[in-house]
Amino acid sequence: MIELFVYLLCGSILVSGILAIQLASTLAAAVSAGLASLFAAVCYVMLGAPDVAMTEASIGSGLSILIFLYAIRRTTEKAR
Amino acid sequence: MAETILIVAAILIFLGVALGVLRLILGRTVVDRVAAVDMLTVVSISLIALYAHVGGRAIYLDVALVYGVLSFLAVLAIARYLEQGL
Repeated sequence: MIELFVYLLCGSILVSGILAIQLASTLAAAVSAGLASLFAAVCYVMLGAPDVAMTEASIGSGLSILIFLYAIRRTTEKAR
Repeated sequence: MAETILIVAAILIFLGVALGVLRLILGRTVVDRVAAVDMLTVVSISLIALYAHVGGRAIYLDVALVYGVLSFLAVLAIARYLEQGL
């Protein structure tokens, strides 16, 4: 049961990573990268490391999307 | 009875993750993908809460709490970005 969820989460991490590389839109790619980090955090909880999962959720999924969006906005304004 | 409810919840969470990832792959617009990510966050929170109950460890609920607060922040940032605000 738990192994099935871990397999599903690992497959979702893989799909999110591939989408983060392949997608044309930078916003969708940044969101996909954050989603990979989100699934990794759930995987850490499943594997018994709640403190690592909390750090991953706060930094990887929350802060990195924010910084990515800020950077995308700033660089596209400069290029325009 | 409680066992049945837990199994049904696990099946629903499994289907939620699978269909959310499918929407993420197929999504035509960016907003579709952002909505899929928001739904996957909620499903992940429920998965952590379910695992905390099944495993009998209340410390995992703290992770779900942090998750809920920060997913709200991330979706808010994306919405501000789409409205040209950030």
